[in-house]
Amino acid sequence: MLSRFIPCGTHAIFANFTNSLFSKFAEIAKFVKFASKTGRRCHSISYCFPFLCCLCCSLSLGAQESVSMFTVDAGYASIHDSYLTPITYHGLDLGLAYQAMRPLHSRPDTWLWQLQVGADYNYVENKARNNHLYKLMGDLSFDMQRRWNGVLNHRLEFTAGPMTQLRAGIVYDAVNSNNPVTVRAHWNVGAAGMAAWHTRLGRKPVTVRYQVQLPVVGVFFAPEYDESYYEIYLGNHKNLAHLGWWGNRLDMTHYLGADLQMGKTTLRIGYRTRLEHWSVNHLKVHDITHSLVLGIGL
Amino acid sequence: MLSRFIQTTRTTINNKNNQILFMSVVPVVQRCLCCLILCCLCWSCAEKDEFESDQVGNFEALWTIMDQHYSFFDYKQVDWNEVHNRYRRLVSNKMTDRELFDVCGDMLKELRDGHTNLIASHDVSRYWIWEQWPVNYDERIIDQHYLNFDYKRASGIKYQILPDNYGYMYYGSFSSDIGEGNLDLILSYLSTADGLIIDVRSNGGGYLTNVEKLVSRFIGERTLAGYICHKTGTGHNDLSEPYPYYFEPTKNHIHYLKPVIVLANRGSFSATNNFVSIMKSLDNVIIVGDTTGGGSGLPFTSELPNGWRVRFSSCPILDPQGQLTEFGVAPDVRVDMDEQDRSHDAILDTAIELFKH
Repeated sequence: MLSRFIPCGTHAIFANFTNSLFSKFAEIAKFVKFASKTGRRCHSISYCFPFLCCLCCSLSLGAQESVSMFTVDAGYASIHDSYLTPITYHGLDLGLAYQAMRPLHSRPDTWLWQLQVGADYNYVENKARNNHLYKLMGDLSFDMQRRWNGVLNHRLEFTAGPMTQLRAGIVYDAVNSNNPVTVRAHWNVGAAGMAAWHTRLGRKPVTVRYQVQLPVVGVFFAPEYDESYYEIYLGNHKNLAHLGWWGNRLDMTHYLGADLQMGKTTLRIGYRTRLEHWSVNHLKVHDITHSLVLGIGL
Repeated sequence: MLSRFIQTTRTTINNKNNQILFMSVVPVVQRCLCCLILCCLCWSCAEKDEFESDQVGNFEALWTIMDQHYSFFDYKQVDWNEVHNRYRRLVSNKMTDRELFDVCGDMLKELRDGHTNLIASHDVSRYWIWEQWPVNYDERIIDQHYLNFDYKRASGIKYQILPDNYGYMYYGSFSSDIGEGNLDLILSYLSTADGLIIDVRSNGGGYLTNVEKLVSRFIGERTLAGYICHKTGTGHNDLSEPYPYYFEPTKNHIHYLKPVIVLANRGSFSATNNFVSIMKSLDNVIIVGDTTGGGSGLPFTSELPNGWRVRFSSCPILDPQGQLTEFGVAPDVRVDMDEQDRSHDAILDTAIELFKH
């Protein structure tokens, strides 16, 4: 999505640039050649398989003004929540999201903003296969990122900047007695970054993009060790809000994917992984998702 | 020619610059990607469970869960480490699931707690204290000889006005949700009675929110209902300060502030035990019958690696005097039924006599 963010001022530069762009095979050959020159073996990049998949689709420069994308995630989820159970559950991750990315109106060449709204649902099972957890989360994040888009004749763009995120939801265990549910809620601020490669697949503009969201500090909700939600309902609200920082909480979201411009429509394919880990009040949460991302932008 | 030469030279220089830049960028990008892939691999290693899923692992998991979460070790003076040593000798990986279940169930019975169960597909281990005491309740005797099979029923509450003009309501489970409108109609019907008998014998408990709903109809002002606390850590004595909680009289609904007698027996357990402990603290209420079954710890549930569930007391609830009622609430008037007399309920008779005098 970010790759589609080339502001108006640079659009002409990109247009000229496309005239001298490389073919797909020349691109890969050049990449391998440079890799060899730097003493790397060709297969040394094989561990970067997801990224290479996107690279193989890359041909030449693409340039768009802004991004509005609806995406669907599907993949694997792992949930460990010691308030509900000491057992780690594994299963399905599904998600829906909307992403909007625009150059900042006042400084389109150097800044962009991004808004993401989404919801994800996990349906996971224990190893004994006799119980399930259900997790439903919604999130809203906003960031503003400084742009550096002059690298490699504007084919590469890097951005970084502050972000804020609000994420909340529940994890539900239908079998538990007085601890059937745990509420997850956190608000935090941190950093967001992106590397985007604007290129072409045939005549179609393609953007290969890596994005990361890394909350640094914030506030999150957690009950005490064995505190019941009934006690909270009765009015005991002590020690429910916690300052989250990298000492007790770690959140990360990474995305790697490609956007293919098809006329006025953009198709997206990518991979997203999300980590949520926190430890407070002798409680521990460790959730991971790995998902395939499919999207469409209009 | 000159302009073409200049253009070619510029292009060459640009390409060289691009190549140099590209060469400098590639290693950086590769390193970043290496870090990313390593991070992903690390994340892929999801949280590993602490215990193996063999028989010994499941036994150890059960013992550890109880050790870290159960809240009445000191109150009941149970040496949990000694219990571990005694039962661990009985466990081996060669035993069957049923054999393991029996050993684990016996170990949990050491806690003498009706809220503590091991739940498997084939059985539920239990320590139900009321099985060891007189029943002190027979629904048939009341239906036949006191209500003449003529009674109303709403929201799981059976009610009628007895011949001596005393209201009677039987609530068999706090799991049966009580509608405020239903309760209004019940209390409206019983409002002409000179007193009300609330029978919660053999009521095994249910939702504490229903306790609040019911109690709120018998108080005229904000009333201290008790204290609640919880484990704050894995130590046996890691308990929070008791938090006082209050019930408010329900607004815009019917209240019953005439004399009330609550009938209880050993089967009055868990939420019912809590209900009796609160009602006992009210000025216009008398408790008649047997000591309640106890169960004052709000139970939580956890899980073993093999999928068995374990339920245990986690959050102690104290009565309004700040006392634990884990072993029950004593009645104001102690009465046992005569098991040979199939036409009289001595506990109900005592309640009626108390009203008359």
